[in-house]
Amino acid sequence: MRVLIQLRPSPDVVAAVADPAMTATTSDVADGLPGVTLDPGFLPVAVPRPVPAAPGGDPLSLNQPLVYSLAPQDASVLVRGEIADDEITARVSLLPSARRDVVGVYSDPVIETTLTCGGDAPVGDWHDIERLLRVADLAAEGMDGAGVALAITDTGINAAQVARVMGRTPVIDAAHSWTPSGVAGQAGEFPVNHGTMCAFDTLIAAPQATLLDIPVLLSQRPGGSALDGLLSDAVAAYAHLRTVLDEQPAEHRALVISNSWGSFSPEWDFPPGHPGNYSDNPAHPFNLIVGSLAQAGADILFAAGNCGRECRDGRCAYSDRPIVGANSHARVLSIAGVDANGDRVGYSSQGPGRLTARKPDICAYTHFSGSKAFGDQAPDSGTSAACPVAAGLVAAIRTQWPSSRLSPSQLRALLRRTSDDRSDVGFDYDYGYGILDVPGVVAALRRRAKRVA
Amino acid sequence: MVLVTVRLSRGATMESALRKLDLLEEDVDVGYGLVPLDPGSGLFALRVSEAGARKLGRATETDGVYSDPRIEPYGPPQQGN
Repeated sequence: MRVLIQLRPSPDVVAAVADPAMTATTSDVADGLPGVTLDPGFLPVAVPRPVPAAPGGDPLSLNQPLVYSLAPQDASVLVRGEIADDEITARVSLLPSARRDVVGVYSDPVIETTLTCGGDAPVGDWHDIERLLRVADLAAEGMDGAGVALAITDTGINAAQVARVMGRTPVIDAAHSWTPSGVAGQAGEFPVNHGTMCAFDTLIAAPQATLLDIPVLLSQRPGGSALDGLLSDAVAAYAHLRTVLDEQPAEHRALVISNSWGSFSPEWDFPPGHPGNYSDNPAHPFNLIVGSLAQAGADILFAAGNCGRECRDGRCAYSDRPIVGANSHARVLSIAGVDANGDRVGYSSQGPGRLTARKPDICAYTHFSGSKAFGDQAPDSGTSAACPVAAGLVAAIRTQWPSSRLSPSQLRALLRRTSDDRSDVGFDYDYGYGILDVPGVVAALRRRAKRVA
Repeated sequence: MVLVTVRLSRGATMESALRKLDLLEEDVDVGYGLVPLDPGSGLFALRVSEAGARKLGRATETDGVYSDPRIEPYGPPQQGN
């Protein structure tokens, strides 16, 4: 988190900062503050001290006539820095006691008016995303998803829509697809909707991947409605996917699961602390089966959610920490969203997560013109689009690197380590470890290949 | 309905789960079935009605009773607060 730190250095230093004829640097004012990465590019700013205009006034009240003094014995100085998100509470309380010259630590929020929000026009199109993901370079490395099973757990896929917009027919493995009981329809032939968008977006980076159509959100179980499902459907779907994984030869095992859904409201859950709770409970059956499947060799990706503070989805009902349940599981990649300019979209949920604090993990692209599943002018949006974009990259990697050569946990670590950091301190709760960076991934895999050869 | 987990031997059937949990067919979602969570550990899940779950409150054979929350697609973002 970016912070402003108010310091009261010696009067001669304050005088140098306040004098426009002189240039004082951050290191002149604050030579190292524990736990703070100071920004040397920010020139220290003198802050005047409000003092009562009339003799005998209250020295602490701002509700009286005041004059503002830049005299060296009165003024203070501001410097800018960054504190790791998961240390912020401790650092803010400890700094003033550890250093007597620290007067206060304040947030330094990003001020901008251009964050992309729901309802905004697309930012670029899927060919831009293809370029950003260096799909041609991936293909040159033999990483195009060929032979890799990529499950879309969603509302079902309409292969004809994908073919019409993308110009190529997706490969769908009907034999290994699965539908909840009571749901009519064939793999690849479901109405155009959210699942079609997700399928399209996976194929940007992994055009040759084999899609498994898993329409869990079309559940007809009591308690659901038209376009949502129940977590029990996902439990059953994951049990099916376990059989798919177990059928694969161990040396070529590759199953990527893209999940662009989650729970918006605590209303449907037992409260945190209740032994049957889902949102905060690693022992919930779905969280158990997610961990078990990842352990067995599957790569599982979840959208971080659309409850970002700047323009949250109207359905968001968690008052804080909206990355809940499996979306915040330690053994999945939680995917936040950035637009084609690399800026976080305002609806992308921020951490910390509920099962694992360090969420989201990484960012992928969203809010671009892609599948046209919601109309010709509507973007593929939400972290719903970012998740399959990232899943496509994972599937592309798996073409050459089955889980026997690179375990799911090693692949997660590699993607985090190579991502393009958007802060100065590594992980942060907006971008996680940063934006997917394909050149970094390819270089790391080449080094790894040499090491293990 | 809620999700209930139970430990059974490999290849267990709904019938054996009902017997172990002392439940009737009408207490469970038979269409959902008995779902293996982790083949290695013999842990299974089934959907049980609220009335069935109340009966389980007195039993010790279940591994746990869990929520079955609604899940929804994360997109497109809907205008909100």
